[in-house]
This record gives sequence, structure tokens and C-alpha cells, in this order.
Amino acid sequence: MNIHPESLIVQEIFMKKIVLAFITVAVMCFGLSQAMAFKPAVVFDMGGKFDKSFNEGIWNGTEKFRKETGIKYREFEVQQEAQREQFLRKLAQRGSDIVIAVGFAQAPALQKVASEFPNTKFSIIDMVVDLPNVQSIVFKEQEGSFLVGALAAMKSETGKVGFVGGMDIPLIRRFACGYVQGVKHINPGATVFQKMTGTTPAAWNDPARGGELAKSMYDDGADIVYAAAGGTGLGVLQAAADNNKLSIGVDSNQNHIQPGSVLTSMLKRVDVASYEVFKTANEGTWKSGIKVLGLAEDGVGWSLDQHNVGLVEKDMIMRVEMIRGDIISGKIKVHDYMSNNSCPVQ
Amino acid sequence: MWSDLLLILDATLRMAVPLVLAAMGGVFAERSGVIDFGLEGKMLGGAFVAATVAHLTQSAWMGLLGAIIIGITFSMMHAFASVTKQGNQVVSCVAINIFAMGLTTVLGQAWFQRGGKTPQLPPEARFTTIELPFAEELRVVPVLGDIYYELISGHNILVYIAYIMVPLTAWIVFRSRFGLRLRATGENPLAVDTAGISVNATRYKALIINGILGGMSGAYLSTAQLAFFVKDMSAGKGYLALAAMIFGKWRPFQAMLACLLFAFAEAIQSRLQGVPLPIVGVVPVQLIQSIPYILTVVLLAGFVGKAVAPKAIGEPFIKEHK
Amino acid sequence: MNEKTENLVLVVLITTVNLLLAFIISGLVIWSVGEDPWFALKTMLYGAFGYDEGIGYTLYYTTNFIFTGLAFAVAFHCRLFNIGAEGQAYIGGLGVGLVCLWLEELPFVVILPAAIMASALFGAIWGAIPGYLQAKRGSHVVITTIMFNFIASVLMVYLLVNVLIKPGQMSPETREFGENGWLPQMHELFSWIGIQITPTPLNLSLFWAFICAFFVWRYIWHTRWGYEMRTVGANESAAVYAGINVDRNIIIAMALGGALAGFVGINEIMGFNHRILLNFQFGYGFTGIVVSLIGRNHPFGILLASLLFGILYQGGAELAFETQTIDRHMVVLIQGLVILFAGALENLFRPQLQALVRSLFKTSTPVAASG
Repeated sequence: MNIHPESLIVQEIFMKKIVLAFITVAVMCFGLSQAMAFKPAVVFDMGGKFDKSFNEGIWNGTEKFRKETGIKYREFEVQQEAQREQFLRKLAQRGSDIVIAVGFAQAPALQKVASEFPNTKFSIIDMVVDLPNVQSIVFKEQEGSFLVGALAAMKSETGKVGFVGGMDIPLIRRFACGYVQGVKHINPGATVFQKMTGTTPAAWNDPARGGELAKSMYDDGADIVYAAAGGTGLGVLQAAADNNKLSIGVDSNQNHIQPGSVLTSMLKRVDVASYEVFKTANEGTWKSGIKVLGLAEDGVGWSLDQHNVGLVEKDMIMRVEMIRGDIISGKIKVHDYMSNNSCPVQ
Repeated sequence: MWSDLLLILDATLRMAVPLVLAAMGGVFAERSGVIDFGLEGKMLGGAFVAATVAHLTQSAWMGLLGAIIIGITFSMMHAFASVTKQGNQVVSCVAINIFAMGLTTVLGQAWFQRGGKTPQLPPEARFTTIELPFAEELRVVPVLGDIYYELISGHNILVYIAYIMVPLTAWIVFRSRFGLRLRATGENPLAVDTAGISVNATRYKALIINGILGGMSGAYLSTAQLAFFVKDMSAGKGYLALAAMIFGKWRPFQAMLACLLFAFAEAIQSRLQGVPLPIVGVVPVQLIQSIPYILTVVLLAGFVGKAVAPKAIGEPFIKEHK
Repeated sequence: MNEKTENLVLVVLITTVNLLLAFIISGLVIWSVGEDPWFALKTMLYGAFGYDEGIGYTLYYTTNFIFTGLAFAVAFHCRLFNIGAEGQAYIGGLGVGLVCLWLEELPFVVILPAAIMASALFGAIWGAIPGYLQAKRGSHVVITTIMFNFIASVLMVYLLVNVLIKPGQMSPETREFGENGWLPQMHELFSWIGIQITPTPLNLSLFWAFICAFFVWRYIWHTRWGYEMRTVGANESAAVYAGINVDRNIIIAMALGGALAGFVGINEIMGFNHRILLNFQFGYGFTGIVVSLIGRNHPFGILLASLLFGILYQGGAELAFETQTIDRHMVVLIQGLVILFAGALENLFRPQLQALVRSLFKTSTPVAASG
């Protein structure tokens, strides 16, 4: 076969061009993937990511995202007051695409940092920060608490139920108020004992005191106690098991912690929220503004699984689900404690 | 009203247990002339080890043993630093408390990956309540029957051990030969040394007992009161026990009464929350919380009686005097 | 070569050896949880000094430690154990916050001296009461100061929850006070001269800390009052014999210590948080004890030791951020080890090191045992 030398040269040039193009494309792709690499981050609050409750719920959500997508995220657990601002800023500086600030206490720091980095997306849970690059996610805890309160009133034999709150803040009073409304909706004559564990953040992590508070309620005749108290709630659940009484868990599904003595758990789906934040930010559908998650959005709810199915009778399930529908449709209005800092029922 | 009172007293007895055990430990250390507010660290370490060992062996008693060993380890660290090496006792206590706080959380996280919380213990691996004989039957007896049923019966074994420790401590400190040496070491080490008894050996022995009791108080928190360990579980109870011991003027029975008083303050605090009292109205919980500390200061200031510490407290004993 | 230099060399040597030991054991712990200690060390140092933000935070923590370290040292020269810097700082911060809230309409130049005086006064009162009880009633100052820490904590919770809280908010905190009450932060000062650095809480309090250190040094070693105080500390009966009023000196030493601790409030409340909040002083007071002891209760030593703990705090946070297995509690553990070896076990190698130094200096004069 006779090949023209010129064509060889042409071929060579052609080859070179192809290789070059290849390299260019490769470099572009790499550069693109660099720019595209999604970098999410989360700043946990003082409770730490293993607080068995709120922070841990967030962590469960972010972990789910990591397992599904294989995308790693950066995280930090705040230990000093000044670190909130420091690490929110550091994560923004490092080019994070989305930073979740966990808990209301981070709001002042986020306010500052989010205005410094208008191109970074931030989501804050349990508080509203009004900035164009911030998404604020809040829950209608009163609705979920209403449901478990109603269930408690159906289940209670003594007509007395209890509530153990963590730190005495409006947010926890919102839980309490929804719960009492739910109880009174079923049994207007019921007594609800209400106690708060403390007035400082230490109240989130004091299971011994939680247990004592619950025990004092059981001693006074209550047979079901709802714990909205973070790690303190573990003591409440323990006290219920030790005294052959019932408890109600909070935030995540806590039915499995003391199987058979946890009547149900008031689910506050912070895990779904944090998962959704990462997911939508990754897909480009993340939006700033206020997101309110209630029963209708499945942001709150109640749990039924193999650990408590023996405790909740069929007609109770139906009645609770009916109330759920009524709240979603607006037939039942649940008062929000934080709307006027007071509760119509005690 | 009567049953309310019984329930409050019952809660008082229960809550006082870790304080009583730690305070007895404090009596031994301080009577020998060694300051000990490292009780907080021993309690924390004891609680962690008890829960961990009880989880691994499924035995509360093994957990208790583990807690005692860690208590002794910490108090031997204290002894080595402040008795043998004549370092500063206060600093050694601070070190033990901070060290215990860091160590329990770091190890807890490394071993169980639950943020320092240890796994939930089943009832078999815990100290659960004991019904004393005839508690149910004797309930019909007015007053005494109730007291027997509510107050005396129905606690776990550590509660009974704690309250037995009080007369035992009193006997050892005030009646035994060792107790005599112990007190002499705390008051006048030079004389003890002249009499041919080793000051340092006496202090070591005292601190071993102190470690045992400190560790036990921790085990109560994690394997009797609750069924797991969480970080910072002692939450200042070690300091409270120290305050009670001082309030009890370094005497076992008085110290126990002080522990009961402080526990009573805590018990009524849960019940008084938001409940208006006649005349004074709603008492802020913080006021009740501060009672133990204020009382201790008032007592120390000699406005109510007088608390005198062992004379040689805080002073390392140095043999070679120039 | 005189005895003084020999002593100095010994002190520096002992401290260095003890610190090294603490760090080696910390390294072993880090290694045992599966991280590289060398990497950890590099990360910590980089976190503390590697860039402007790190330096800012390191020095911001350092500022607090200088105040609490000095608070312990002053009392210690009178042989008093001031364990109460924690509470004194807390109450001092209350004073600062109240001034800033009440006077926020006034110009900064009025607020600043008022706030400094308030923090000193509040802290001094919280220190002077245990001092008074020690002097006049013989109550052991170690115990009373511990009790005063708890009382301060309970009092602050009460005030913040029931009295000072900004209505309708979650955290028990006051409202943010007006900008007239804000102490300029370093990044603001730098931006005035045209240099942009990352914002950190580091503020002018650092210089106030230096000034305090200088005055403490002057006071203790170069004034008659300081001399009296040291005499009381060294030998109480000799002091009485020399006609020194022991009681007064004890109260003054504790009041001064409390005032110095109170300045933590200037750094925290006026310099950074701009509102009164819970536990802003957390841990600084206790660490101050160690800072002072490692620094041999000398202001210069305290400056160095404060820097060390500033590095531990900031570098430790960086370490927790950069690694998966090391979390924030590791830093607490390392602090505990530093306190154990450099504080409690300071005499561990003293005899050996003493012999070493002596042989180096080839002198027969015995070194006076200190501490």
C-alpha cells in the first residue's frame, strides 16, 4: 500500500489535534467537576451530634445524604460561644455550597456570617433569620404534640398525664401547650402535670433529674409522661420502664429505647429537613425563605412501629389519624404558644 | 399531704446516696490532711467505668468493682502527686476533674460511637429495687407501715450500702486505731511522724478508701439511678458532696444530714416548680438551688456554729525540716 | 553565674520537661484512637498561627487566660488559693453588661472607663467577700471561692432568666446593647488603616491585659503594698511581727484578684458578645489556676502560659474540625494532662533536673527549694 507522505503528515497533525482536544476536554471536565463538586457542611450546636435528640436527628439526615450520594460533608460541634461565628465563617470561606446551622442559638452568629457571604447558602433549623441567602426551617411542634397528647388521653386510665420539658424556653412551651390541648381535646377533665428540667442548656442533658421529675408525676398518679427534653428525656423513658408506666418520646422515633413502655414518639423530622436541605442544594432546587413544616408536610407526626403496636389499640390509631386529618384540613385549630406567648389551656 | 411528704422524703433518700458515698470518701481524705475536691472526677470516672463494665460483663457487681478500681486509680494519682511528690493538692484535684471529664467522653466515643453515652443496660446488669420482707403486709399498720413501705423498703442495694457506710465511717474514724492515726495525721503530722508512724502511708490508706467510696458514688449514678452513662453525668454532685462534708464539720453523721438536707432541697425544688406558696408566692428555683452553697458559706463563716478544718489540711508533709 | 540564673534555668527546664511529658502522653492517646500525633501537632500549630483568623482567635483566648491567670497569681503571692476566678469573671461580666446597657446612649469614651470600673468593682466584691471571710472569720478561702462560683452561676441564671432576658426569645440573654458600648475589634482597627483581615473576636482587651500584667508585676515586686502582701504570704507571723496588717492584705489580695478576673467581662461582653449571656466565662477561671502555676505566678510567665492555652483552645478546635475521630473532648483531655503534669506533678523530675542544673553550673550553692 502506497501512502503519500503528505497524508501521513496530515494524519499526524490530525492525531495531534485529537489528542489535544481530548486533553482539553479532560481538563475542562476536571475543572468542571472541580467547580461542580458539591460541598455541604453542618455546624452542630453545644449539645453535640450525639445528643439522642435534636442534633442527632440532623446528623441522621446528613448521614443518609452521604450514604446515598457518596458526597462527604464537613461538620463541626460548637464548644465555645465564639466558635459558632468562627466555624460558620470558616466553612463559608472554604467554599461550602450549603451550611446548615443547627439550633436557635446560632441565629445571631448566622445573621453576621450570612451577610458577609451573600453567595453562600445557609439553612438554619428552629429559628428564622431573614436574609436573602438563608433558608429558615421551623416546625409546628404544637401539631405533633397535640396528636400524642390526644393519644395519651385515650390511653390514660387515671386521667392524669405528665409533661417533662428540657430548658424552659418558649419553644418547649410550644410543645407543652400543644400537648395539653391534645389531652383536653379528648378528655377535658384530665389533669396535666407540667415540669421543666431547668433554665439553662444543662437541662438538655440531665437524665437523672428527668427521671426524678417523671417519678414524682407517676407517684402523683400520672400513668403517661411526655418528655420533650433532649438527652434528659432518656431518664424519663427509663423511669417509665422502671415503674411500669408509659412514656412518650420526642424528636426521633424513640420507641425502641425502652420497648413496651414508650407509648409513641412525637416525631419532629429534623432528619428529613437536613437531608432535604443537602439534597435540594445539590440538585439546585434549594430556596431561601421560611419553611414551616407541620403535619401536612410530614414535618411532625407520631410513630407506630413493632415496639409500640401492642400498646396502641386499633380504634386509637383511627381516632388519632382522624384528628390528624382534621388538623391538616383546619377543622381543628391548634394554638401556637409562641404566637402570643401564652397557652389557652393548662 | 402525708403521702406527699413520704414521697418527698423517699426522693430525698434516693438523691442523697451519691452525695453520702462521696462525702464519706471526703471525710477520709480530708481527715488525713489531703484536700479532695477531685471527688467530682472520681464520681464521673466511676459512673463511666461502672456502666461500661456492666455492659461488657452484664453484671452490675462487676461494674461496681470497675468503678471502685477507677476511683482508687484516680485517688492514687492524687496521692502520688500531692503526697509523694508534694505537689499542690488543689491543682491535682483540678487536674483529676478535667482529666476525668475529657477521658470519659473520649473513650466513650471511641468505644461506643454514641457521643459518650454508653449502651443501655438491661435490668439484670443494674442494681434494681429490693422489696424488704413484709413491706406489703405491714402497710396496714398506720404511719409506721407507710414509712416502712415507702421510705425504708424498695431501694436498690447501693442505697442501703451508702447508709451503712455512715456509721462504719464514724466507727473507723473515731473508734479504731487507724482512725486515731488518721485524725492525728490531719491535725499534727509532725507528732505522728515523731511517734514513728508514717504520715504518707496513712494518707495513702485514707485515699484508697476515698477512691473506693468515690467510685461507688459514680456507680450509683450509672447503674442504679439510671441504666447508662452520659457525659458530665456527675453535674457538680462531687462539689456538692464536698460542701456537705464541710457543712457536717468533717463528721460522718453530720455530713450525712447535710447530704440529706441538700437532697431534700433538690427534691422539693422539683415539686415547688411554679407552685405558689402561702405568703412568699412562687419561689424561684434558683433560690432553692443556691441553698446548699449559701448555707455552707454561712456555716464556714461561723455565723451558725463553727466549722474547723483539720489543721494540716492542704499541706504536704515534708520530713526534712531545716 | 549566680543563684538567680541557676534558679531560672531550673524553673524553665522543669516546666519544659513537664509540658513535653504531657504532650507525649496526649500524643499517645491521639495515636491510640487512630490518628497521627505528628499530623495533630502540625494541625494545631497551623490552626493557632497559620493564618490571620487563627492568630486572632488564639490571642482572643489568650486574653482571657491572662486575666484569670493574674487573678490567681496576685492572691497566691499572699498565699491564698483563689479558685473563684470563674465566678468573679462571671459577675465582672455582669457589671460590664449592665453599664453598657444602661449607658448605651453615652459616647464610647465614657462607657469604656465606666465598664472597666464596673467589671473591676463587681469582680472585686465577689473576690473580697471570701477574702473577708478568710481574714476575719477564718473560713477556708478554697471552699468559699468554690461555693461562690456556684452562687455566681445560680445568680446569673436567675437574673438572665427572670430579669434581664430580652422578652420573647429562646436563650436567656439580654438584648444586644448599642454600638457605643462595643470595644473595637482588631479587624476593625486594621480596616481603619486600610488592611483587611478576617474578623475575629480579638479586641483591644488584649492590650488592657498587657497593661494589667505590667501593673501586677510593678505592684507585687516594686511597691510597698506588694512587699507587704508577699511578706504575709511568705510568713504570716513574721508579717504580724513587722507590724503588717495581715487581714487587710488578705482582703486586698482577694479583691485585686477578683477585679482582674472581672476583666474577662471586658473581653467577652464588651469586646465580643455585646450582650450578657450564660456561661461566657466557662472554663477560663479554672484554667487560670494552671496558667498561673505554669507561669510560676509571674506576669511574664503568665503571658507565655496564657499563649500556650490560647494555642490549645484554638488549635484544638482546628484539630477537631480537620479530623474525624478527634472531637472536641480530646482537647479537654489534653488540658487535663497538661494540668496534671505541669501543675500537680511539677515536682516529678525536680531532684534529677536540679542535680543536672547544678552540675551544669558547677556550683556548690544549694538551690533554695521553692513551692
